[in-house]
Amino acid sequence: MSFLEKFLKMVGTKFLDWSFEIGGMVLLAWEIFRNLLPPRMDGPETWRNFYRVGVKSFPIVVVTAMLTGAIMVIQSGMYIKQYGAYGLLGWGAGYSVLREVGPIMIGLMFSGRVGANNTAELGTMRVTDQVDALRALAIDPIRYLVMPRVLAMVVMLFLLVVIGDLTALIGGALTGEALLGVDSELFAWSIINYILLEDFTHGLIKALAFGYAIALISCHFGMRTSGGAVGVGRAVNASVVTSAIAIFVIDYFITYMAA
Amino acid sequence: MAQKKSADMSAADMTIEQQVYDDEPGLLSAFFAAFGEPVVYVTRTMKELNSLFFITLKYVIAGKRRPAEVIAQMHEIGNRSVVFIAVTLGFLGMILIYQAGFQAMKITGDLTLLGALFLQLLMREFGPTITALMIATRVGTGMAAEIGSMVVTDQVDAMKMCAAEPIEYLVVPRFIASTIMVVILTILAVLISYLVGSLTAYTAFDVNFRTYFDLSFISAFDVGIGLTKALAYGMTIPIIACHAGLNVFGGSEGVGRATTQSVVNASLAVVVIDFIISGLGYVLLALL
Repeated sequence: MSFLEKFLKMVGTKFLDWSFEIGGMVLLAWEIFRNLLPPRMDGPETWRNFYRVGVKSFPIVVVTAMLTGAIMVIQSGMYIKQYGAYGLLGWGAGYSVLREVGPIMIGLMFSGRVGANNTAELGTMRVTDQVDALRALAIDPIRYLVMPRVLAMVVMLFLLVVIGDLTALIGGALTGEALLGVDSELFAWSIINYILLEDFTHGLIKALAFGYAIALISCHFGMRTSGGAVGVGRAVNASVVTSAIAIFVIDYFITYMAA
Repeated sequence: MAQKKSADMSAADMTIEQQVYDDEPGLLSAFFAAFGEPVVYVTRTMKELNSLFFITLKYVIAGKRRPAEVIAQMHEIGNRSVVFIAVTLGFLGMILIYQAGFQAMKITGDLTLLGALFLQLLMREFGPTITALMIATRVGTGMAAEIGSMVVTDQVDAMKMCAAEPIEYLVVPRFIASTIMVVILTILAVLISYLVGSLTAYTAFDVNFRTYFDLSFISAFDVGIGLTKALAYGMTIPIIACHAGLNVFGGSEGVGRATTQSVVNASLAVVVIDFIISGLGYVLLALL
């Protein structure tokens, strides 16, 4: 086979693969939409997922957000020290954390912690025929497995970003005080004076979109798993990679539309 | 009724009952357990990671060289991540230029420093860190899943039976390949992000390419801190991923658990290392 033929074949294979996955996700999105109006899902399972997705990810989100806030303060501190504009530290760190870095970092952590876990769990159920067993008992796997997870992820990522933003600002204020010698009162004043409500809501819209994307992608790859333990590993890998791409692409379009 | 029963009991029985009662966790001990458990988990994991790192380092220096294996891993980690890194970091470049550009337009209306400051921030912070997070998700899960599948299908035990050390055969090539490839991918990622950013700045804000490609702000410090971060991430990610993979137990469920653990720990390690190196870099810059 010539080089050109090989190249075309590779492009074609990739294109077909991606079309297959995107088509599957669209179908799953349609199924979710159909089950949403009116809401048809398993109640106790939904509560269990709220706990598993939200409360269990709380520590890791708090740690990540706090360090992210600290890093952003250090990075903007390098410029602020140069120009002596200490009153702008809260604005510099707050603006970048609330609008951009906070949702992205928390979204990526969430995708790693919850999305990967979700794919692994659904994939294991799939390869051990538990999903087929549900179907044999006349329980719709979409209503019993997928819907509670989607709802839990969308709601909980939103709430975790709210908490994460707050802890990131606290982490930033502590770092500013310890490393740069900027009083935390000045830091808070700078945030209150310069940060608009729009900056905060911009990040929250992103959080909602990321939550839905991560939920859809991880459920899709989980429900399509085949081939034993190796297949579960492969499904988790595909799920987190696609989630990461989706986070950046969605982030770009939301930024573009809001501007 | 219970009171009557306990009154009937002898003193010895009472103490036993008392002891059983004490063993059940009360609210206070549950509270302390909730704080203590993560501490115990983190210390144990850190200890294991440390020993794995030093054993790996020992084999890297003194072990047998297997270039073919290292090159295969370099292909897996490096070449196969290029598209993924290009897409994510390209979008990151566009996003950051948009956010920075609109803010600069609103406040000063002066966009001449956009390219220079963007490149500096990209080198110091976003280039290495976001690349490493992407590698942690793509390669970290891949390694943990691959090694984990080997463990649950008893291939690693078979290796031990043949007197082959799994760390030398599995971890060392991945460690060398990842250390080299993360540095190279970081350089590539910074270039891609910077170029995509230039196109965005030109189309959205009419920033001239000549104004954008301004390297006057870049110093050896920026390049150095970026490469130090990349090197540290490149060494950390394979150790964490292989540790998660080697400790798998319990079939396909275990593999799933290990891949999740690998992503979470590797991403968290990247953020923590980023914080430490950035902090040290700030102190260094203040001293200079």
